[in-house]
Amino acid sequence: MKITFKSSLTILITIFSIFLVFLLNDEGEIPILFNLLTFAGIYGLAAIGLNVHFGLTGLLNFGHAAFMGLGAYVTVLLIPHAAGREGVVITTGLPFFLALLIGIISAALFGLLLGLPAIRLRGDYLAIVTIAAAEIFRLLVRDLESVTGGVYGIINFSNSLQQYRSGFIDNFASANDLNPSQIWIAFLSWTSIILVLLLLRRLTNSPWGRALRAVREDEDAVRALGKNAVWLKLQSFMLGAGIAGLSGVFLAFNYGTIQVSTFVPILTFYVWAIMILGGVGSLTGPIFGSIIFWVIISETNGIAQLIFENANGQQIAGVRFVLVGLLIMLLMIFRPSGLMGKKEELLLDVK
Amino acid sequence: MIEQLGNGLLLGIIISVASVALSLLYGVTRIVNFAHGEIIALGAIATLFLSSPVDSRVIFLDRFSPLGNNFYISVFISVILCGLFGGILEFFLFRPLRKAEVGNIAVLVVTIGLSLFLRHIYLLFNAKPQNFPLELQRRETYIFFDMTPRNFRVLILGIFVMVLIGLFLNYTRMGKAMRAVRDSNDLASVSGINSDNIILFTWISSSMLAGLAGVFQATINDVRYNMGFLILLLIFAGTVLGGIGTSFGAMVGGFIIGIVVNVSVGLPFMEGHTEAKNAVALAIMILILLFRPQGIFGEKERVS
Repeated sequence: MKITFKSSLTILITIFSIFLVFLLNDEGEIPILFNLLTFAGIYGLAAIGLNVHFGLTGLLNFGHAAFMGLGAYVTVLLIPHAAGREGVVITTGLPFFLALLIGIISAALFGLLLGLPAIRLRGDYLAIVTIAAAEIFRLLVRDLESVTGGVYGIINFSNSLQQYRSGFIDNFASANDLNPSQIWIAFLSWTSIILVLLLLRRLTNSPWGRALRAVREDEDAVRALGKNAVWLKLQSFMLGAGIAGLSGVFLAFNYGTIQVSTFVPILTFYVWAIMILGGVGSLTGPIFGSIIFWVIISETNGIAQLIFENANGQQIAGVRFVLVGLLIMLLMIFRPSGLMGKKEELLLDVK
Repeated sequence: MIEQLGNGLLLGIIISVASVALSLLYGVTRIVNFAHGEIIALGAIATLFLSSPVDSRVIFLDRFSPLGNNFYISVFISVILCGLFGGILEFFLFRPLRKAEVGNIAVLVVTIGLSLFLRHIYLLFNAKPQNFPLELQRRETYIFFDMTPRNFRVLILGIFVMVLIGLFLNYTRMGKAMRAVRDSNDLASVSGINSDNIILFTWISSSMLAGLAGVFQATINDVRYNMGFLILLLIFAGTVLGGIGTSFGAMVGGFIIGIVVNVSVGLPFMEGHTEAKNAVALAIMILILLFRPQGIFGEKERVS
């Protein structure tokens, strides 16, 4: 990331929003901050994956929740867990990192499958296909109770990952009165973000990355130069889906349970809001977008209390989604390039 | 399987009317409107608010009291209100975006934000599923399917409305102008059609139809804040199946989807998986998009 006016301003806004957490909360600032940083890490990773689809390649993907869900379900089902109404305990399983690898590969393969329509369809049609495919995924997961636990979900799988937790995480957590499992997830997701970003920076600066951006700008020109535009699109779909799968795994381990209701369209819209806020097409944008987004989310409770006396959970959730919707609309109307995006790199028209 | 046909026809009429509305809007403006479901819900919620007995204070934050109007007058006012709302959306949101030459994909994302925004405004007002203030009715047999007399009337009214739309599009000046703008905005402008007015009119009529579909849905089922979003994908499926942008196709496509969703419950591999019945319709939609993107009745055009 070059230090430009835009990036310094973004960093300033991010720091200010973190400062806001301290300003608006009288007590428990540190737990609130680390809770939101955990979510920011997980969702930021998902937004980076979405940015590979939309920002780098121009593929309109509204089924991101399904990629995250598939990665999470496959990984968790391969390690020891308990699933379903009866809580059937399965004690045998693969080592965590092997399961994670298979989970990510499954998400990527699902990306390949969903990428097939992308070869033929124009942007807005692809949006409908991806959101429908995500809905089919959700309905099937809900329906196949014998495998996925259906609406009862899956529990008791956290230990496979938490057993690797380092001592310094425990020390840090106990010193600050935090939940060590969550801090471990936060640490892993932010580490993954750094690794993924390093990988993506290499990729986007390579001939492959340039060809990908060329697909976004003018597919026919890419074809004319003898590049396989179809295969490039599919590779992009797989890469982004794999990153989403990884973030889905972290999301599941952060909750400690896995539920159908986690991987719903609203999750996709959260990730979209983060990506647009951070900047479409910008590699580092989603990180800042994610932190600022989660500061807003974590303060909705206070906003809801301003509107309703003693707001209940449903009202708080309502206010939160109203804000997210408003954020998406206003950004798209007034600043579609977000904080870090380049206006000239925006692909917002149907090709 | 045959007993599901009645339910299929009822779901079909809801999706059909809503699909025609979506298809009209897409045809004329090229906007894929994800907020369509929220206009559907608005029709139902407004009717509920206007027609519920004055003393039923459960809805609307316990602050506003429902108005207790006659049900049919409430439906009429609600449909007009939905049209007005569609007009306001076009005038204050989508027309400025069009004038600023914002691309279709950006507008699509705006409609997604709008959908999220409106849906949860409804949630803040009214979270619990509620029924219209209508008495319960017993099912009766019509030809070979069972439904209540009220639902049968919904079906007949829906078919009547769609015949009207068909006649309107084919034989009135306004309808012809709408089809002209749909086929080519530039050519229509050259022939002296004010495309801004046509688009405004399209928004109003599309929203009125959506509101009516919402009243149908709530009469057959109930009023929920997310009722429109729940059937939005089925509406897309109906629209795509018939051929996106074609009105007649959307009518037929909507009916097919409604029937497929309900009849698929009777298929052998669906036994014990009734919850997943919507998945069948969505899978059909994806296959149609893959192999015949122009739908059943659409004309071939480049979609890649």
